[in-house]
Amino acid sequence: MAEARGAFREELARLEENALGGLDLVTSSLHRVLEALQHQDVELAALVIADDDRVDGRYLEVHQGILSLLARQAPVATDLRLVAALLQVINHVERMGDQCVNIAKLIPLGGHEPPAHAEMLAKIDDMGRRASSLVTQSGECFARRDEEMAHDLVRQDDAIDRLNRECFYLALEISGDPDTREWAMHMMLVARWLERLADNAVDIGEQTAFVVTGLFREFTDASHPEVTPSSPLRPSG
Amino acid sequence: MAQTPPDGSVAGPSATLTPEAPAVSAPGGAGESVFDLEAVSVFYGPTPAVRDVSMSVAPRRITALIGPSGCGKSTLLRCLNRMNDLVPSAHVEGRVLYHGQDLYERGIDPVEVRKRIGMVFQKPNPFPKSIYDNVAFGPRVLRLKDRPAERVERALRRAALWDEVKDRLHANAYSLSGGQQQRLCLARALAIDPDVILMDEPCSALDPISTSRIEDLMLELRKEIAIVIVTHNMQQAARVSQMTAFLTVAEEPDVAVEAGPGEPVRAGRIIEYDETEHVFTNPSDPRTEAYVSGRVG
Repeated sequence: MAEARGAFREELARLEENALGGLDLVTSSLHRVLEALQHQDVELAALVIADDDRVDGRYLEVHQGILSLLARQAPVATDLRLVAALLQVINHVERMGDQCVNIAKLIPLGGHEPPAHAEMLAKIDDMGRRASSLVTQSGECFARRDEEMAHDLVRQDDAIDRLNRECFYLALEISGDPDTREWAMHMMLVARWLERLADNAVDIGEQTAFVVTGLFREFTDASHPEVTPSSPLRPSG
Repeated sequence: MAQTPPDGSVAGPSATLTPEAPAVSAPGGAGESVFDLEAVSVFYGPTPAVRDVSMSVAPRRITALIGPSGCGKSTLLRCLNRMNDLVPSAHVEGRVLYHGQDLYERGIDPVEVRKRIGMVFQKPNPFPKSIYDNVAFGPRVLRLKDRPAERVERALRRAALWDEVKDRLHANAYSLSGGQQQRLCLARALAIDPDVILMDEPCSALDPISTSRIEDLMLELRKEIAIVIVTHNMQQAARVSQMTAFLTVAEEPDVAVEAGPGEPVRAGRIIEYDETEHVFTNPSDPRTEAYVSGRVG
């Protein structure tokens, strides 16, 4: 039997494509800001800040599209879960764009020749590349509705969390030198924002699992790390 | 053991339609069932219209029957008050228990059943009588003689019609608008203080405002009685019901009779029966998903 509601399905597919396309904008910003960090490239950092308007524009476009779809098409079942998940996804995209902007805004504060510490920069670069991989994988798992791939994001995020802690201790170590202290604190913030960005990617994985199963679970419970999350949180009711 | 109904009415010679026997609860149900259907099949002649339906209807809940045209949802609804008896070729197999009493048991008077289990139809069908007489009709035939005027007023108030008609109770019911006529039919069904009302697409002939008034009424009534509603309007089912049964039409290869040359017999079957929220957010069966999301139907 031929499927009905073709226009609705096309519209929904287009919204998903636009929302996940926002992740490409984020990875582009992330790569640029990482490069700007490594080379203290203030112009490139300014470009990242200016380009965030594209991410924000994508957020508004998808958000408005979802509201319109909800009002006109009243989606239910998997369609409803997908629409609800896309609202979350586009929110995470916007947040990730903002994390890149936060990092970019720090770069000019370091001056022309900041006291770059090679080991710290290497760790930050490693974190950034892993975070970029995580963002890409979050989009792929969502598009494929691949729950297993979504759960794999947690494994990769653990490595980023470890690097974040290492950056923290390294910042403490090198901040004994007054000339390095401010830069070290900046790098600690950069590591923190990269760690948050990766968390947003994991959240998209959680939305993937929600679309597939209809049950919302946090993959890891930050409030109760000692408890393995097992009780599903129904979307409502 | 038969009991006198709480409204003091006397049942027919062998109709003991009283809420007393325990029955299987509906999934997520609220206590003792109003109806329990056990392997119910309905045939028109040798051809099955609905097959092998087992479900229970919980009290104080709105149960929606949804499904594509021809899936037998109206046929199933009409089983619940033996309205199908009016179709000469129709017969029912299985058991339809109303508070534990099999409605199709030998000796049960179908007219008595219909008096007690009222139905509101697609199009308003008031009697060509006054507003008052329409509502007083049921209590009169059931010989509920205590304070008839109060009973009529109570029913009209429950149907949210009293304020609109209190000054013209003796006007002809046909002078009311379509939405008012439908609420009058609801008041007529409520006048005998039933514990369940059946509704067969009650809003399909009404405008959106009248529809929302009927829906508001249903949600109010559901605090006291069960409602079983057949609707083609998916959003209406999602808005008002707590339980939803999805029926669809399936081929019945085991049925010997042919629908036509080379055509297999098709009959309605229940695919999924669950809480409405579940059916509309995460249905268990892909056929339900395809129907509620409008992909097929």
